[in-house]
Amino acid sequence: MKRIIIDREKCDGCLNCNVACISAHQEGSNFYTVNLQGVDSETRNFIKFDSKTGYTPIFCRHCDEPECVLSCMSGALEKDPETGHVQYDETKCAACFMCVMNCPYGVLKPDTRTRTKLIKCDFCEDKKDGPSCVAACPKKAIEVKEVSL
Amino acid sequence: MNSNFSCKTCASADQKLETFISNLSQETSHHRVEGQSVKCGFGLQGICCRLCSNGPCRITPNGPKGVCGATADTIVARNFLRAVAAGSGCYIHIVENTALLLKKTAANKGLLKGKRALKKLSEIFEIKDADEYICAEKIADAVLADLYKPDYVKMELVEKMAYKPRFDRWKELGILPGGAKSEVFAGVVKTSTNLNSDPVNMYLHCLKLGISTGLYGLTLTNLLNDVILGEPSIRLAPVGLRVIDPDYINIMITGHQHSIFAYLQDRLIESDVIAKANAVGAKGFKLVGCTCVGQDLQLRGEHYQEIFNGHAGNNFTSEAILATGAIDAVLSEFNCSLPGIEPICDELKIKQICLDDVAKKANAELKPFVFEERAVQSDEIIDEIIDAYTARRGDIVLNMMPEHGNDDTLTGVSEGSLKDFLGGTWKPLIDLIVSGDIKGIAGVVGCSSLTAGGHDVLTVGLVKELIAKDILVLSAGCSSGGLENVGLMSPSAASLAGPKLRAVCESLGIPPVLNFGPCLAIGRLELVATELAEAIGVDLPQLPLVLSAPQWLEEQALADGAFGLALGLPLHLGLPPFVTGSPVAVQVFTQDMLNLTGGQLIIDDNAKTAAATLNEIIEKKRRELNI
Amino acid sequence: MKIVIIGASAAGITAAKTIKALDQATEVVVISKESIIHSRCMLHKYLDQERDEQSVSFVPQDFFEANAITWLKNTRVLGLNTEMKTLKTDGNQEISYDKLLIATGAAYFIPPVPGLREATNVYGFRDLKDAQLLDAECRTAKNAVVIGAGLVGMDAAVALLKRGLNVTVIEMMDGIMGLQLDEKSAQTYQTLFEGQGASFLLSEKVVSVDLDKAHRGHLIHLASGKTVPADFIVVAAGVRPSYDFLEGTAIQTNRGITVGDDMRTNIQDVYAAGDVTGLSGIWPNAMKQGKIAATNMLGGSALYTDRYALKNTANFYGLTTLSLGNINPEPEENCDVSIRQDHKNYQKIVSKDGVILGVIFQGDIRNTGFWQYLIKNKINVSGIDKSIFDLSYADFYGVDKETGEYHYAV
Repeated sequence: MKRIIIDREKCDGCLNCNVACISAHQEGSNFYTVNLQGVDSETRNFIKFDSKTGYTPIFCRHCDEPECVLSCMSGALEKDPETGHVQYDETKCAACFMCVMNCPYGVLKPDTRTRTKLIKCDFCEDKKDGPSCVAACPKKAIEVKEVSL
Repeated sequence: MNSNFSCKTCASADQKLETFISNLSQETSHHRVEGQSVKCGFGLQGICCRLCSNGPCRITPNGPKGVCGATADTIVARNFLRAVAAGSGCYIHIVENTALLLKKTAANKGLLKGKRALKKLSEIFEIKDADEYICAEKIADAVLADLYKPDYVKMELVEKMAYKPRFDRWKELGILPGGAKSEVFAGVVKTSTNLNSDPVNMYLHCLKLGISTGLYGLTLTNLLNDVILGEPSIRLAPVGLRVIDPDYINIMITGHQHSIFAYLQDRLIESDVIAKANAVGAKGFKLVGCTCVGQDLQLRGEHYQEIFNGHAGNNFTSEAILATGAIDAVLSEFNCSLPGIEPICDELKIKQICLDDVAKKANAELKPFVFEERAVQSDEIIDEIIDAYTARRGDIVLNMMPEHGNDDTLTGVSEGSLKDFLGGTWKPLIDLIVSGDIKGIAGVVGCSSLTAGGHDVLTVGLVKELIAKDILVLSAGCSSGGLENVGLMSPSAASLAGPKLRAVCESLGIPPVLNFGPCLAIGRLELVATELAEAIGVDLPQLPLVLSAPQWLEEQALADGAFGLALGLPLHLGLPPFVTGSPVAVQVFTQDMLNLTGGQLIIDDNAKTAAATLNEIIEKKRRELNI
Repeated sequence: MKIVIIGASAAGITAAKTIKALDQATEVVVISKESIIHSRCMLHKYLDQERDEQSVSFVPQDFFEANAITWLKNTRVLGLNTEMKTLKTDGNQEISYDKLLIATGAAYFIPPVPGLREATNVYGFRDLKDAQLLDAECRTAKNAVVIGAGLVGMDAAVALLKRGLNVTVIEMMDGIMGLQLDEKSAQTYQTLFEGQGASFLLSEKVVSVDLDKAHRGHLIHLASGKTVPADFIVVAAGVRPSYDFLEGTAIQTNRGITVGDDMRTNIQDVYAAGDVTGLSGIWPNAMKQGKIAATNMLGGSALYTDRYALKNTANFYGLTTLSLGNINPEPEENCDVSIRQDHKNYQKIVSKDGVILGVIFQGDIRNTGFWQYLIKNKINVSGIDKSIFDLSYADFYGVDKETGEYHYAV
């Protein structure tokens, strides 16, 4: 499967991955026009920083053994057998957020406005150029690579 | 030199140039575009603030305000005003130097080549002395006196220079500028940490800076230069890399201050200097035009046919010009003198001398121009360049491109030469506009950039769209450099125009894109617009006239843009000026400005749709004028 | 090989799916008393009419066909012969198996209160059947009473309130969701429910229920002497594992079917997973057990080592809460309790000697998944020089350069 491989040493914390992610999920927007202030401006990837650990890019791994899928009582989260990516079906979700609780890396979150949806990386599956965050990273700290399951 | 540069160069509207650059062994800006292609989203939107140690703060969903409480609107406005203040400062520096030069030239009873410009300025300034030197000195003094006023004392020449309806509107809005230098100062202060947080106040300040920039930095710089160097006159001239003649010692000039070269360019064609060149095997000296000062020289080329070989290209052609190997020295006095020329100069042993420390290049010799020492300085420069020529020629492989550019670019267009061409009156042009043979006028101005599709891509694309819609294009700035090299300023380009404009151009033997020269000549466009408005009896916003800086590059362009908005003109930009993160900025520039000055910002990086929008505006204004 | 799975909820379905994913050739038979596969965690969405029978499913409608699984629905298993490896159904069918997974879950429990068990209008809230019966009651009733203010009781209360009923919740403890919340976070939810019209009778015990002629309970008597009128009653007082049909077998039980880490019972080729094991009452753990059992039935060697079950989330009226571990320590435990709150959030972290024992995050629960790892693995965080509230996975960040998977660098 394809996974976003992280080289944390290269991350400068510019948050372009956040901007790209928000834009990718805000229809019709681009880097100039993306609204970064709205309550619906949700990023699916995170950069944490402290003096000891430096910048740490926290991105959904689409895990080999996805705890989120194993938490889902509505069938909304499924690991696609073809792509290996964990996809989320908003229409099935019952918003129990067991997945948020069980993601060992704290990647998942409820939507801020309604808390009825999960905000989760979809690997920009609808975009032909692949994940928007990867394209937006000026340092190539994140790159898509093929990994064996 | 970094040898790991990208092998992919950016696109250029100038195909021959693109091929030339992609085959170079030197790295150019065109190569570096790829490595900088990933842009910072916060930077693009203007919502990063580095004004204090709590920052840098960026507007994000989790941080909708800076630590201090600054909103996106405040951060964007501060960043924008800072940029406009810097851009204004650049132009005010140019007009200040030019005025000082005129003053000294006049005091020394030096040669004043532009008698008509002198007369025109005397009339505007209401100076009635018979002696031209006294007039010139008084003119220079009046300009300098205004520039040096404090910000709380309004500049006196604004009312004399500006079109009355505009002046009245500016007065109503409270945006008449105080001393131009002080307004830059005030703008910078406003934008410092925890001072002004009112976006509207800051945008009004931008308009103030736009007025001082436009009337002084642009319009007056042109006219003062005309007095010293002679007025433009229309002629056909060669452009492009073909203008470089390797048989000569070639000096590329970059900058915006033509009068700094006034003495040198005359000296270079004196027989003893030519003899020096001959002695080392060259036929003599030639100046090769590049950037805006090259455009200025081209504009006044009628007076400098012997020394000036033609304009080779705009700012982002400068590296390619040097890479031909046939340039022996670069004399720079202002922007755009790209840092990127430095390693090429080092590699090709090209002598770099900076004549103004504001444009000091890292590896160049600094020789600030001193009027009183101009003779000695010029001879020193000549000797150094001869040494460079001797050291490098024979050693450096030439990489010429004689097929680049053309020999029939129409140049020398100005408010004066165009009116002369029309028979001393604007009536023929007005008649053509009224009849619809010329639907309207678009001033396509500003810079060249390597974004918005690539080098000059949007500029050329937009201009082709506009002329096809029978809109006459007047160009000023590095945009001209691109447009002329691709042949749009040659009379044969008439075939690309719409049927009506084409007929007009063919009957007059002119191209559909008229070359006013450097970005400073945006001031000349303002004079044309004002004279047309006066002749028709309307205010500027009513004219079927639009402005576009499709590939605006830098802070000066933003100050120019502020002038355009103050004039009440629709202004198109290809890419947003780092303001889209602020809803207030977007509202002010694209909507509210219509009620303030009549101006309006239009952002569109698509040539077709942008041209369609500008066309609609022109047609709307025509309807409102009942024509 | 033929594997029979009894039960079609989290553990059973996950096991069936896992088997088919690992080995298409294995024959799988699922036996369930239900005729519609559904997620019990979504029953309140059925009762409040947000979802119908189809949309409370957690598998695609064609799950069995697509995976070539035989499904015996509406079928109860009555008995089991582990020597013959057969089982008998209420349809008098005898079904053989090579391996058997018991995933029959649990059933709600009605306390032995006079009148309560006898009443015909007393319901649990466990299966779709219960929700369907309650739905019918909602059409005529005005007053609903929920006994038990745990997560299930509150789920029922949300739905009944949305149906426009007067809802009274009776709870023995002094706060709602007493296993998941502390006083403060419970009070916040209680206020939200009260805002929607719910009444709470806390620290109250039901002592008897008066029945009418039709044997419907209509008046509830409390230990305090108070009475509560009811048109119907929902009992949410806990569940008991369902394994009556094991009677006569040697399968070991102890408040659930006893299993090892590999989900095997003491009898060869018989496995158990999910609530029937009594290991954990929450959905994710049941799924995991089902997956592990399936893997092992096919000869794999997966172990249920992550037995952590003191975890839950709640999401009522847009207020989300994460609750993990020991969140109400006794004073003699000498724990450190850190609390941080603002007008929208309440956060509580219980720790001892640098080890986190429990957390409550009420309000913003973004990116809180890592806490569970810290708690269940007893990670000592005292060496990390920052506020305990600022911890994140970044403090334990580890990436495998080859696979890109994360791990905990501790």
